[in-house]
Amino acid sequence: MLLTCSRRTLCRTILFGLMLWAIAGGAVPHAHATDKLTIYSGRGERLIKPVLDAFTASTGIQIELLSSGTTELVNRLKAEGNRTSADLLITNDAGSLELARAAGLLHPLNMREVERAIPAQFRAPDNAWVGLSGRFWIVVYNTTLVKPNQVKSLLDLANPKWKDKIAIPNSGSEYLQAGVSVIRAMHGDEKTRQFLQGLKTNAGGQVYQKSSQIVDAVAKGQVALGIVNHYYIYRHLTTQPNAPIAALMSDQQEGGMGAIMNVAGIGIIKSSKHLDSAKLLIEFLVAQAGQKLFADLDKEYPLHPDVKADPALVERKTFRAALVPLTKLAELREPTLTLIEQVGLR
Amino acid sequence: MSTIRQQLTSPLQLFALTAAGIILLPLGYVTAQALLADPAVWSRLWNTRIPELLFNTVSLAASVAVVTLFLGISTAWLVTRTEFPGRRLWEGALVLPLAMPTYVLAYVYSYLLGFGGPIEHLWQLMAGPQARIFSPHSYWGATLVMSLDTFPFVYLLSRSALLSMNVSFEEVARASGASRLSTLWRVTLPLMRPSIAAGVALVILYVVSDFGAVSLLRYQTLTYAVFQQMTGRSDNTAASILSLLLVGLALIFLITERWFRERSRFYQTTGRYRAPQRHQYGWLGTMAITSYLGLIVGVAFALPTTLLVQWSLSPEAQMTLDSRFFGFVWNSGILAASAATGGVLIGLPLAYLASRRPTLLNVGCLQVAYAGYVLPGPVAALAVLVLFTQLAPVFYGSVLILIVAYVIHFLPAGLQSLEPALQQITPNLEEVSRTLGFGMRATWRRVTLPLVRNGFVVAWVLMFLQTMKELPATLLLRPVGFDTLAIRVWMEASEEYFQLAAPAALLIVLLSLPALALLVSKDWRAA
Repeated sequence: MLLTCSRRTLCRTILFGLMLWAIAGGAVPHAHATDKLTIYSGRGERLIKPVLDAFTASTGIQIELLSSGTTELVNRLKAEGNRTSADLLITNDAGSLELARAAGLLHPLNMREVERAIPAQFRAPDNAWVGLSGRFWIVVYNTTLVKPNQVKSLLDLANPKWKDKIAIPNSGSEYLQAGVSVIRAMHGDEKTRQFLQGLKTNAGGQVYQKSSQIVDAVAKGQVALGIVNHYYIYRHLTTQPNAPIAALMSDQQEGGMGAIMNVAGIGIIKSSKHLDSAKLLIEFLVAQAGQKLFADLDKEYPLHPDVKADPALVERKTFRAALVPLTKLAELREPTLTLIEQVGLR
Repeated sequence: MSTIRQQLTSPLQLFALTAAGIILLPLGYVTAQALLADPAVWSRLWNTRIPELLFNTVSLAASVAVVTLFLGISTAWLVTRTEFPGRRLWEGALVLPLAMPTYVLAYVYSYLLGFGGPIEHLWQLMAGPQARIFSPHSYWGATLVMSLDTFPFVYLLSRSALLSMNVSFEEVARASGASRLSTLWRVTLPLMRPSIAAGVALVILYVVSDFGAVSLLRYQTLTYAVFQQMTGRSDNTAASILSLLLVGLALIFLITERWFRERSRFYQTTGRYRAPQRHQYGWLGTMAITSYLGLIVGVAFALPTTLLVQWSLSPEAQMTLDSRFFGFVWNSGILAASAATGGVLIGLPLAYLASRRPTLLNVGCLQVAYAGYVLPGPVAALAVLVLFTQLAPVFYGSVLILIVAYVIHFLPAGLQSLEPALQQITPNLEEVSRTLGFGMRATWRRVTLPLVRNGFVVAWVLMFLQTMKELPATLLLRPVGFDTLAIRVWMEASEEYFQLAAPAALLIVLLSLPALALLVSKDWRAA
């Protein structure tokens, strides 16, 4: 009835709107050309897009990227089930990948390239997810405010002497969840609870959504210390070489738990209809050239044994990592979240 | 002559019922999920997060209410009761902050007031190198940003109250010997009370449901916590519980606003016999008034806009103006157009039925459509998400789900201009048209539609703009490849890439300006 009056401006507006609606609605299912991959990525866009652009440049395969929170994307994949348009999932955390695998979202892989390039402890037993780059959840400190010998362990940050002097990520951050899981595994729930309570008190309002903000706050001297993934420190130093910040590889003392390691990784979604292109991308990312991109652009530790990390980073051989298997991060997650909520971290 | 009504009734009625159902169901689902949640979750939240969140939310609302009260009333009084050069210009300029989404203002101020930012530098020049100013990422920062953004609500309501007030009351008070100040305090302000209260309730409703500013200023409120729960947890139980509290809180202020708005109508019926006398000030007074107004408009609009322009012209920002950027513009446009069209199509039958056949059922359906007012963005997103995963998972991750969330969220804004537009035309006109030989369709086309067209256009534009600025629901529900301008602003600004966020932010502000003019002349409550 409304549509019969096509000469009226109003109706034209409505018609146009409907047309737009139809196009918009139609655009999603038809988004796939033969060589186009859709990636859900829980990593910051500026950390992963350059690497994916390099892949597009070398293969011609277009990539549609949805950047959002890792947990949010895993929730979304669960809800979308087989109808998802995603071909791959990239996350900033191995625990999330393992949870996705346990939920049956990921496609097991049998690829010699992967097995040759990435050591077994950095991928799922069935290769449903593959680690791409290593990162350490460590302390960043302001070199004018703190001496490196003042802090030995992450747990020292709960000491009352750092009240209002530390910055931490918010509790939705998967790094924090994985880090707390490792601390629980190494030190037990009670000690972890005390640590978190101290952390909460000391941080006060300095709870950040993004690691880059924490590094920035430390560099400006707004706080003395922060907990971040190591590469944010070096990325900051790349753009501002004179910033008074440094990385502190924590928990290296005698009997200490070792630095908390995690990997960013990738998995192919079970329902993907572009398996070949998706495998091509994984092959590209685990190969030496791809691994070098993570090392150079993102300042992460490449997982390929033959690819060197950026020379600015602390030499990987000089410090040790906590001995908690990455796959275990998944089962540790739920009780960790309960603990975090009981303490009431933001 | 009731054929029109009879012929229209059944399919329309069905449609209205469906629409009301689509709007109400998500809210019902969230409520159910919250109420059926494990009591252990409730008690854990109650022991850890809820007291802090409630306190933060309510105290922010209170402080913003106080500040907007002062700013709104004082500016309204100046432009209505005094005469000074440029008065009419200021009268319009004071509305400009409404064009600024809260997250844009928040990000500009987290730069300006931030640690080591320009204002701190200025302050240190005066007060010594160790001097600190208050952090924008705090209660006071959030108060400042939200107040600057929302005081025009109080201003506009107070201004119209002052303009329509019967000046005889004041004249009587003056003639009986009361001083000007005493008249203001004992006569003018009490008469304005209902309008002021409505304005403040509106401000509070806005503060309680804001996501953009509080997330960038890292100030924990209920709305922000709902978003964090949704993005950081694998189940939505805790998010539902917090949402339910939030809806309850918002409902209180919505009812307050309505109640006072009804009362303010009563006062206005007295009408006015002539315009109040404006007080003329000398050059000193004029200077004082101009600098006061200039300061407010400056910090709330001129300064942020200048910064955005400057940042947009920086080489870093220019680099982002590639085909991808125009993709974001296109996405924003297409989503906003779809949501606005959907909103008009769904709102029209609801408003039509309620005004032509005001049965209990029809009026009820219309009232349901106003539910969006108490559904802050993250809650609307959560509600739609939960509903679709339960009932129609096929649409999950599609554009449709996002549009439904937009329509639910912004339908009230549209209805506010659709409803009066339909009420303006009496059924007699249609009936005359029918007696003169027009068919039903012709009557619609030649009589009804032309009469309501303006209301339509206003409703459409309002919903278009609201959608374009919308942040939390878009963040949570956008399909692959549907990043919008608002998303880009938030993504860049939340990592403090101020220059990179600027072009998108500036575009949003500029696009909001013409619509603001429309808004102020028609129905600004929807902003």
